[in-house]
Amino acid sequence: MRRLALGALAAILVGWPWAAPSYLVFLASLVLVNAIVAVGLNLLSGYTHQLSFGHAGFLAVGAYTAAVVTTHVPALPVPITLLVAGVFTGLVGVALGVPCLRLEGLYLTMATLAFGFVVIEAILNLDTLTRGADGFAVPLARLGPWRLETDRARYHLVLVVAAVLVWAALNLVHSRTGRAFLAIRESEIAAQASGVPVAAYKTIAFAVSAFYTGVAGGLFAFVVGQLSPDAFDVFLSVDFVVMIILGGLGSIPGAVLGAAVVTVLHDWLAAFQAYRPLIFGLILVACMLFMPGGIVSALDARGGRRAS
Amino acid sequence: MTAAALVHVVMSGLATGSIYALMALALVIIYNATRTLNFAQGEMLMVSAFLAWTALRMGAPLWVAVVVAVAGSAALGFMIERLIIRRALAATHWDVLIITLGLSLVLRSLAGVIWSHDEFPFPSFFPSRPVALGPVRVVPISLGIIGASLTLMAVLYVVFTRTRMGRAMRAVAQNQRAARLVGISVERVSSMSWMLAAVVGAVAGVLIAPVIFLSTKMGLIVINGFTAAVLGGFGSMPGAVLGGMVLGVIENVAPLYLPSGIRHAVPFLLLIAILVLKPGGLLGRVQTRKV
Repeated sequence: MRRLALGALAAILVGWPWAAPSYLVFLASLVLVNAIVAVGLNLLSGYTHQLSFGHAGFLAVGAYTAAVVTTHVPALPVPITLLVAGVFTGLVGVALGVPCLRLEGLYLTMATLAFGFVVIEAILNLDTLTRGADGFAVPLARLGPWRLETDRARYHLVLVVAAVLVWAALNLVHSRTGRAFLAIRESEIAAQASGVPVAAYKTIAFAVSAFYTGVAGGLFAFVVGQLSPDAFDVFLSVDFVVMIILGGLGSIPGAVLGAAVVTVLHDWLAAFQAYRPLIFGLILVACMLFMPGGIVSALDARGGRRAS
Repeated sequence: MTAAALVHVVMSGLATGSIYALMALALVIIYNATRTLNFAQGEMLMVSAFLAWTALRMGAPLWVAVVVAVAGSAALGFMIERLIIRRALAATHWDVLIITLGLSLVLRSLAGVIWSHDEFPFPSFFPSRPVALGPVRVVPISLGIIGASLTLMAVLYVVFTRTRMGRAMRAVAQNQRAARLVGISVERVSSMSWMLAAVVGAVAGVLIAPVIFLSTKMGLIVINGFTAAVLGGFGSMPGAVLGGMVLGVIENVAPLYLPSGIRHAVPFLLLIAILVLKPGGLLGRVQTRKV
């Protein structure tokens, strides 16, 4: 039954570009990109309880890395570019995460918030590399002889990468590392006392989360094709937080679901820009007051199952 | 750079610094009662400044507008605490943090719908033309902001040391359970803290609006307020004042010696630096949590 459902889902996802108009294919790509970020953010915030308000900064680092690499080495196959973007962003994550190890709670959150602002300023100032406020036209992604020219081709690239990363995250949270993350979330002191090296695992969480977001940033660069620093402002970071809160903290399917709802809602409300933050703000408040576990735990409570 | 010019820069640094200090105080007052950061503090400031502006547009004199802002913000603080925060008090501190983040989005968006996202000029009690005091040129508005802020701080000092409610607030800040045991109503303290913080923010908003223009973007000042509070040692009220002043001066003096590109990043870099190097701040102590 479960296999059947998964198979049907895979078939729908793969077949989507042939069934839907081009704009919805583009939107689906964005959903998947955001889903990767949400899964990455959830590994950090939902699993180790280190709330980040700076993931738009990581996304920007990944996006600009991919754009710069593709511009200078056009022949590089896209998986390598994405890997470079992910690893570089992961290193930035470690560089931010290690000094932040002594911070907890809202201090860490504020440090990540400041990081997001610093990244935007850095992009504006490194204009020889990033072209600053003028915006960066990203060259087409290449995979050997193919150039990913259509929305459909780019969608399939995003789909494959998202599938691999979500599968990896599902495995990660059931591994020793995932259990260590959860132990840290429940109580850092108890985790330390039980022999979990808290500092090492918190750094790993930061690195993995930044890696995910960096890869997503690379995909974002290719899907959107045009980068500018103001696309990565603090409100994007807040959107990511809304995704994991709405979907359910500490749940990988929840993160994907939250990303889908928020991205589609964002698109629907494009005509009502002024009301968008109002609605997302209300979602945050309402989730915290009435549905603390997000959509996933609300569904589970109804179905009588426990979240995985 | 001459000494006189430096005095001028430091003076305007102290003026913005006083505003940061007031923001930091508002954040600390709420932190002490609710144990969380009020992300919506900046938006509450923005809304009160807009309330004052609406009163001005209806023909009220400036002092009436200030009264409107103070009364309106107190009502707003009261409602937020009563209707939303109190329901979540039992939750963990970051649930409340996320609620205040949501509130800041809601307030900013509503303000945009009501008053638009444009920038408006805002009148001040104090003239903005510099006057010469011997060799030094000072701007009256800077002196006015510093003076008004120091007066408000003095009032707060009296409230916190001399009044029953102020002492109750300090007791709750130290130990909520013990405060409850000696008969203090923690709920009343929480309610009063939110109102007091909103009022402090309203005064800061009315003071700063003539300088940075009135707009829905004003709310971002909460980050400078937090930086100031952390700089002084989060939770400490004298620290908040000191941190605000230091941050204001650094922000104004640093661009003279730094490349212009990183000038906007100064408060953020400073926040990261202070968090990483000395999380206890200048006056605070790092709290070690007992199991």
